[in-house]
Amino acid sequence: MRLFKIATRYGLVEHARNRFAMLLVAVFLPVWVMMTGWAIAKEPVQFRLHGTGHVLTAGGDKITQITGALNGVTLITGFMMFAATFSNGAFDRRLSMAGFHRVPLGLAKVACLVIASVVVCSYATAVICCFWSPRQPVLLGAALFCTAMTYGTLGVALGTLLHREVEGMFAIVMISVVDLGLQNPLASGGANSDMVRWLPSYGAMQAATAAGFSSTVPAVDFTVQLAWFTAVGLLGLLAFHRRTRSALTATVQIGRQTDTDLVPLKKSANR
Amino acid sequence: MEAEGVHHSYGVRRVLRGIDVALPAGSVVGIVGENGAGKSTLLKILSGELRPDRGVVRHGGRFGYCPQQVVLNDAFTVRQHLDFFAAAYDVADLRRAEEVMEILGFDQYADVLVGTLSGGTRQKLNLTLAVMHDPQVLLLDEPYQGFDWETYLRFWDLVGDLRVAGRSVLVVSHLAYDTDRLDQVWRLRDGVLHGRQEDVR
Repeated sequence: MRLFKIATRYGLVEHARNRFAMLLVAVFLPVWVMMTGWAIAKEPVQFRLHGTGHVLTAGGDKITQITGALNGVTLITGFMMFAATFSNGAFDRRLSMAGFHRVPLGLAKVACLVIASVVVCSYATAVICCFWSPRQPVLLGAALFCTAMTYGTLGVALGTLLHREVEGMFAIVMISVVDLGLQNPLASGGANSDMVRWLPSYGAMQAATAAGFSSTVPAVDFTVQLAWFTAVGLLGLLAFHRRTRSALTATVQIGRQTDTDLVPLKKSANR
Repeated sequence: MEAEGVHHSYGVRRVLRGIDVALPAGSVVGIVGENGAGKSTLLKILSGELRPDRGVVRHGGRFGYCPQQVVLNDAFTVRQHLDFFAAAYDVADLRRAEEVMEILGFDQYADVLVGTLSGGTRQKLNLTLAVMHDPQVLLLDEPYQGFDWETYLRFWDLVGDLRVAGRSVLVVSHLAYDTDRLDQVWRLRDGVLHGRQEDVR
């Protein structure tokens, strides 16, 4: 537990020093949601909730604000986790080889992701609430949170598996754009087709739209999104495990000396 | 620390062709060789960072490794690095780390972000992280890159202290003038260690 707390504290310190991510959260989210609200026509469009079979009718600007918010939180958490994982792979490995247990180290990354996702998604939900009143704002925030977690773990997996920073950034942008672009009924004629069920933000998009425009509690959609998070999270943990493992055939004690066997240095500098 | 029959290749290029190492206690051993001879590959394998194609490496007791490339986190201060690694090594306090910082002459940077430090100071921290838990076996891969002359001399004083304390130190170097500071010199050539019995002191 002590190692988990230490790793979580330093993980948060590191995320807090990522000023570009802070700027994205503070400026990009409200600007993106505001611009979609202004630029997209308010004419009603139909959106099918696959879980219940109901077809919702809502303003195109509002549905696009939901996809915009989903797009924003996926990019922010995906970038944050990718950047932290990519740049610190060697550092995590060194820590692990120095004796820092990998379980608390990995769990601390998940804890940091949870905290970052809660902050980012609460903010995104509040921004949407400035423009219109979702029927179930808490569930809307929960849907954003689930997809933020999914993309955050995707960032960890890509940060571990890819060798160039630009590859990971490009992959996250393209996956998010394709994922959410295909589900926006204004941008895609196939938004109501069965094909979208296989997209990584499908559950979150369904749940967020249901939360925005109905009183339905989309439990099935949350389950689908949880399955995506679990699958991507396992991939990320497996990649993290492989990257930080030691190649030594026999594991031995690295640290844990006591004062009795600690040899004092002679302050060579003063010689 | 022992290694037996270590082989390693990068594709078709065979870098290590059967390395046997047994590091004596209380000794400072150097591995020298030309660029690309496989010195860093050998140290990565001895430290557990790289899995050999064949062979076995065994460690006993506390062990420290200073990689050739500085491995730090630019978002943390020097002290935060020490705290983080103290938790990894499970050491109770930072007394020894602070002693090493004083010896290497960068204790005034304790609260400075690592990302803003000079290359030489980053290397000093890189080295401190490897020795702050008083390892019984210490593997150093060209640990004084970027050091000024005064720090270079202090580094060898520090190594001398470790030798007196009975610690084993393995230093990879390509500098011929380091060899008179070593108890033994092993030359890595054609994937094999030569001159293993050579005592230069």
